[in-house]
Amino acid sequence: MKLSRRDFLKMGGGAGVAIALGGGFLKWTQPPPPSKLLPPGVERWVPTVCGQCLGGCGILVRVIDGWATNIIGNPLHPVNRGTLCPKGIAGIQGLYDPDRIRSPLKRVGKRGEGRWEPISWKDAIQEVSNLLKELRKKGEPHRLVVLGGRYRGLMRSLWERFLNAYGSPNYIDNQFRWDGMPMEGVFLTQGIHTIPAYDFENAQYILSFGSPLLDSFWLPIHALKAFGHFRRGRPGQRGKLVQVEPRLSITGIKADEWIPIQPGTEGILALGIAHMIIKEGLYDKEFIAQNTFGFENWVDSNGKRHLGFREYVISEFPPNRVSDKTGIPIDTIIRLSREFATNQPSLAIGFRDRPFHQMAVGVLNGLVGSIDRPGGILIPKSVPLNHLPSFSKDSIGQKGLEKVRIDENHSGPFLMDHPYLFAKNSLSGKPYRAEVLFLYYTNPLFSNPHPEIFQKAFDQIPKIISFSPYMDDTTQYADLILPDHTPLERWQDDPLFLNNGFPVLGIRQPAINPVYQTRATGDVLIDLARILGGEVEKAFPWKDFKEVILYSLKGIFEARRGDVFGLEFDEAWTRMLQKGGWWDPSYKSFEEFWNLLQEKGGWWDPIYDFGERERIFKTPSKKFEFFSQSLKGDLHLPHWEESKKEDDEKAYPFHLNIFKTMALGGGRNANQPWLQEIAGHHLYEKWRTWIEINPKTAKGLGISDEDLVWIESPHGKIKAKARLYQGTMPQVVNIPFGNGHLSGGRWSKNIGENPYRLLGLKLDPLTAQPIQGITRVKIYKA
Amino acid sequence: MENLDLKREEDAILFDPVERTGKFFYLTLSILIGIILLAIYAYQFQYREGLGVTGLARPIFWGVYITNFVFFIGISHAGTLISAILRLAKAEWRRSITRSAEVITVLVLFFGVGNILMDLGRPDRMLNIIKYSQFQSPLLWDVSSITVYLTASSIYLYLPLIPDIALLRDRNTKRKRLYQILALGWKGTERQHRLLEKAISFMAILVIPVAVSVHTVVSFVFAMTIQPMWHSAIFGPYFVAGAIFSGIAALIVAMYIIRKVYHLEEYLKPVHFNNLGILLLVMTLLWFYFTFTEYLTTYYGGEPIHMTIFWMKFTGRFAPYFWGMFLFCFVIPLPILSFKKTRTPLGTLIASLSVIIGMWLERYVIVVPTLTNPRLPNEAVIYFPTWIEWSIFAGCISFFILLYMVFTKLFPIVSIWEVREGREKSMAEVRERIKAYLPGIGVE
Amino acid sequence: MHRWGMVIDLDKCTACQACVVACHAENNIALIGPEESMKGRTIHWIELIPYIEGEYPNIKARFIPRPCMHCDHPPCIKVCPVYATYLNEEGIVAQINYRCIGCRYCTTACPYTVKYFNWHQPRWPEEMKGSLNRDVSLRTKGVVEKCTFCHHRLLRAREKARIEGRDLLPEDYIPACVQACPSGAMFFGDLNDPFSTVSKLSRERRAFRLMEDLGTEPKVYYLSEGA
Ligand SMILES: Nc1nc2c(c(=O)[nH]1)N[C@H]1C(S)=C(S)[C@@H](COP(=O)(O)OP(=O)(O)OC[C@H]3O[C@@H](n4cnc5c(=O)[nH]c(N)nc54)[C@H](O)[C@@H]3O)O[C@H]1N2
Ligand SMILES: Nc1nc2c(c(=O)[nH]1)N[C@H]1C(S)=C(S)[C@@H](COP(=O)(O)OP(=O)(O)OC[C@H]3O[C@@H](n4cnc5c(=O)[nH]c(N)nc54)[C@H](O)[C@@H]3O)O[C@H]1N2
Ligand code: SF4
Ligand code: SF4
Ligand code: SF4
Ligand code: SF4
Ligand code: SF4
Ligand SMILES: [Mo]
Repeated sequence: MKLSRRDFLKMGGGAGVAIALGGGFLKWTQPPPPSKLLPPGVERWVPTVCGQCLGGCGILVRVIDGWATNIIGNPLHPVNRGTLCPKGIAGIQGLYDPDRIRSPLKRVGKRGEGRWEPISWKDAIQEVSNLLKELRKKGEPHRLVVLGGRYRGLMRSLWERFLNAYGSPNYIDNQFRWDGMPMEGVFLTQGIHTIPAYDFENAQYILSFGSPLLDSFWLPIHALKAFGHFRRGRPGQRGKLVQVEPRLSITGIKADEWIPIQPGTEGILALGIAHMIIKEGLYDKEFIAQNTFGFENWVDSNGKRHLGFREYVISEFPPNRVSDKTGIPIDTIIRLSREFATNQPSLAIGFRDRPFHQMAVGVLNGLVGSIDRPGGILIPKSVPLNHLPSFSKDSIGQKGLEKVRIDENHSGPFLMDHPYLFAKNSLSGKPYRAEVLFLYYTNPLFSNPHPEIFQKAFDQIPKIISFSPYMDDTTQYADLILPDHTPLERWQDDPLFLNNGFPVLGIRQPAINPVYQTRATGDVLIDLARILGGEVEKAFPWKDFKEVILYSLKGIFEARRGDVFGLEFDEAWTRMLQKGGWWDPSYKSFEEFWNLLQEKGGWWDPIYDFGERERIFKTPSKKFEFFSQSLKGDLHLPHWEESKKEDDEKAYPFHLNIFKTMALGGGRNANQPWLQEIAGHHLYEKWRTWIEINPKTAKGLGISDEDLVWIESPHGKIKAKARLYQGTMPQVVNIPFGNGHLSGGRWSKNIGENPYRLLGLKLDPLTAQPIQGITRVKIYKA
Repeated sequence: MENLDLKREEDAILFDPVERTGKFFYLTLSILIGIILLAIYAYQFQYREGLGVTGLARPIFWGVYITNFVFFIGISHAGTLISAILRLAKAEWRRSITRSAEVITVLVLFFGVGNILMDLGRPDRMLNIIKYSQFQSPLLWDVSSITVYLTASSIYLYLPLIPDIALLRDRNTKRKRLYQILALGWKGTERQHRLLEKAISFMAILVIPVAVSVHTVVSFVFAMTIQPMWHSAIFGPYFVAGAIFSGIAALIVAMYIIRKVYHLEEYLKPVHFNNLGILLLVMTLLWFYFTFTEYLTTYYGGEPIHMTIFWMKFTGRFAPYFWGMFLFCFVIPLPILSFKKTRTPLGTLIASLSVIIGMWLERYVIVVPTLTNPRLPNEAVIYFPTWIEWSIFAGCISFFILLYMVFTKLFPIVSIWEVREGREKSMAEVRERIKAYLPGIGVE
Repeated sequence: MHRWGMVIDLDKCTACQACVVACHAENNIALIGPEESMKGRTIHWIELIPYIEGEYPNIKARFIPRPCMHCDHPPCIKVCPVYATYLNEEGIVAQINYRCIGCRYCTTACPYTVKYFNWHQPRWPEEMKGSLNRDVSLRTKGVVEKCTFCHHRLLRAREKARIEGRDLLPEDYIPACVQACPSGAMFFGDLNDPFSTVSKLSRERRAFRLMEDLGTEPKVYYLSEGA
């Protein structure tokens, strides 16, 4: 039987149907009469982990009659302590999204046309395993590529294990690197590849270089929760936040001061501030003497003299130069440097930028010694999970593995994968084409800058298989869909850390039975391995993904560290004991441990060991490096690369600034009406994409509020409503992310525009990721 | 003698509408019914779908329906009030116009009330107003005083009808049964006449305060909230003045049409229009006076929240409505009514039509701008009525006209007996009265 | 006798709108699609009101989370013809949806525009209906609704306390928005108890209420931004 996606939805009663008034619910009265108070059916509160973004918040799902009816924060979970962000609450709408994929689907009709035929799991898995067997027969297992998105925990290990056993080196991590991630700056100064922790709570002064902490920090709740404490959590002490950003974001609004800055110039501002701090001798001399490298000029082993950071910035970045690059008055620069240096502990944060600019921001923390100390940059210990056991590979697998990665092994200094090189290469066929593509948790046709390149690449790939539970833009383009459970329906581990560096492991468990014919991708992988047989099968000695989780949880149990979540005062106690070298957890056996984990929501280790230098400094010098020796080549000092605007300023007079909102921060929440409705509350914007223009500028262009305008870059153009916003720089236009899905549900498809269609494809030489913030546009009335 | 039956000839024309009906009548009737059906369709649509089918939205919770409510109640002040005042003042020229006036009141009240009901989100729960009356609410005050007003003016319309109904009954025309019942066995004896006169003048005295109260409490609906430019002490008199203003205008229009359609030039003479015109002129000035004080005080108070609305009306989004109101209520009627030359039937008609439009706009300009500007910032919402609201509005007006027409078909629209009484008694009476307050007359 | 009140610390508030969504989820607030939203018919029992004043680059911008103020002298209840909205003995301004005739007089009388009207019949897709909160009634088209201070939670808490044979404790009754607020900017409790957090905060130097000059005596206090 063939049917289009539309009837398919109808089958499930997709069309919104008026709810029978009354029904199981208390009718009419509000508030309800006491008699009807206790709800029909028994109520359960299931502790699990929110899956709406990467925040990793612990939640309690209220389950009645098998329905999840509400989500609140898990008071015991140290990440969010019973609170939630708006998206977390909307998790209910992610779960009961009426447009979810209800069973495995097989494409009928042309690619992307959206006509599907539901098939059984048996057939679906059969079909995939046949494909994989084929490849192996042809001796080309390496042509299986997995494109993975944002998620945490063992699933990543499982994917890599599967590829290794099967014989492909190609797990391509397609996560937010093009946005700029803090890793890069931290790597250059501390040689660390992981995301650091920012101890907001204990900072006294935060200088943010365009990090929209309150708009859409990549771990939203961490920033939201910290902010309250930073501002008023400490009696008699109120932290000050200064937001340097081209746009008056929500963070800018809530900050004590907003400093508009020429886009792309915060790097030089940071160096200018460093200049003043050094000039006025306000830096932390002790810290620099003991823990840093490359501050002073130095001579290397073979006698070569090197310029040190101090001399470099003193000569290169005098306030007047910085001032006319950034457009920030000299006295402001001087004031900032004094405030930053004297309000200790102070923290500079700026990850929305290119590596050396991140480094420039990073060294400010070095100057004031905000490294590995309360209120500074911390390097969290990792969660002591068991590594999965090693396994042997057969010859086909071995050969496949030895092939160059489709993104050219060129992992660069930052050990990054390169989705863009993958796209280009599988287009050009060098080193080889992808034959089968797995999409897990990623939506490049929507989420990646210049999605067109992926579109083209995918056209060349014979088989695309998506594991998404939602019909996202890329899944729409697949040949076969094996829908995953959504987070509230599956088992998963979620290792992360707190702002103060404490490692945390959240346990995600099914709050309710699966709503539809979906299966956890982890379990599906294990099944696939079983069908593929041989060494591949042997590599997966588990019944299902839950067993994998249990296996590696043993590691935590055996590490004899930390404890399951408890109440605040328990922690104080635990901490004390551990400081005193005791370890007195609330469990004795592993079973006990496992049960408590499920009951409390997770495990954590509430201590941070300061001064473990081998952990926090992995640089060649084993110190904080002002002069980064981790890099080959001749660029080592934090410097400023004036990103030459790629397009000519006459034809395209405006700088394009793309920003995220709290509600629609990523690609995945657009089909949730609660979030669509609150997207742009500073302008009462909702349910669409808008373009922020400075009122004066608009006047000049003859554009008035609410006019429909075209915004055009050399790479594309989109049409949207112009909104006059005073928080816009005259030469900048802002567009929010989140909408513009070409596929999705009734609340997201064809709503708004995707600004990533305006971006070009210039890749950063260091990261091989698209360079952000260099696109210029023109605007005109539609 | 002969001039007597000549007179009978004349009055005969007053019976014509009741006894003969031309096709022109049926033509208009069908047009009106057409519009009414459209309105009914529109309303049942609204009833099913909810008020979402109107142009209303938060914070503009009230729109055309409430405007109409105030407007129609205003019109209703035409009849009863004016006729009562004229009666008590013993203004002889009233005799041929009182009825046409009183009918307006009784009929138009229904549409005032109707609009409130159509504005309800849950009309099906209408009766809660009685079940759970909460008398602190000005709406309740409205309900009460309007009910009283409706009853009073119905009685007040009915009493002077009785003798005429009797006449009809005796002229053995069609609908004899009906007239027999309604005539309440009127024989026209001295005693009956005395009773009737008493009753009428009693009602006349009664309805005046009621009428005044009605539009006062209508104004209270707004004045009792603390919303900017509603919360005003002079709203009561302001609304009453406005009501009488539009009322008289409506009356003039009605009279003009009756006069034309039923050829009553003999009964509705230019002098009537002239006199009413003068009344209208007075009201024009009075209206201006109130409007002026109202806005001047706001302006001098200068509270920002008030001023935003003030400027919205003067120069902002509502300027067209506001200045339109001023044009129609003042600029146009004033000159026309000021000069005897232009105070002709046609002149006053034009002035009146303009006043009616102007007064509708006034109500609109009172209701909508204030709601458009709540105290707390709010997303910009622009209210414009949808076809639903417009057709219901049109329906109301058509329905009113239709009922009026039908009335003229059932009863004489000019009070025959009063006219006659006028001819027979008045001369004497007036002479008596003049004697009473002027010296030197009556000494043969 | 309790007198429930709320305090919102604007200095802590991050303008994240968790409170808004929490309220939606808790109180079965209707889904208003794109078209209707554009007409200004969204329903937010609590809403973040933006004040953006001044001109670039000298801008003063603020957000004020605005639930119902639960005024002690509420203009809204005086005008209701049918007692469909009233001030209960614990200071909560309640809304009886099954009695409301939808005249929208209260909505126009409320100086804080916190009352919302159901312009259409609230609808949910079949797939979602089971996830509605069973403790809170569904409204019908044509009635007015607003923040109730999550009154149903009070009733449940009472019930619970009764069953457990103890008095109501402050932490028993917390509205959904307060519970969600990630930055801990919202506080809720008994203003009659001089030692409760809310009454202490309501006496703080930074404390103020919206439009105090109107004499509505709101029971929602704000703590001003800045040092
Ligand atoms: N237009 C737009 N583009 C963006 C962004 C944006 O906000 N808007 N954000 C940028 C940033 S910061 C990043 S990190 C990237 C991230 O971009 P992606 O890596 O694409 O991450 P998401 O878009 O969050 O999720 C991708 C897809 O995962 C699927 N998914 C959701 N839940 C599940 C699940 O439980 N299981 C499985 N298997 N799949 C699931 C959804 O279909 C979703 O479309 O996007 C970047 N690009
Ligand atoms: N619901 C939901 N929420 C999410 C996610 C999700 O999937 N779902 N994803 C999370 C993830 S993965 C991420 S990465 C975050 C991303 O969220 P953010 O880190 O907020 O990413 P952006 O909003 O793109 O950050 C760009 C900001 O930097 C500013 N900016 C732009 N150009 C410049 C410049 O040249 N200089 C300076 N100083 N500033 C500039 C812009 O004004 C904008 O405010 O969102 C997170 N939030
Ligand atoms: S921050 Fe992310 S994880 Fe936490 S509640 Fe919000 S969406 Fe869920
Ligand atoms: S939830 Fe708390 S922080 Fe977020 S907007 Fe509401 S009050 Fe402010
Ligand atoms: S805020 Fe408005 S709705 Fe709430 S109590 Fe006060 S007046 Fe009534
Ligand atoms: S809308 Fe409902 S609650 Fe409001 S005044 Fe009218 S009847 Fe009362
Ligand atoms: S108190 Fe309850 S009803 Fe009121 S805003 Fe908060 S959540 Fe909504
Ligand atoms: Mo991201």
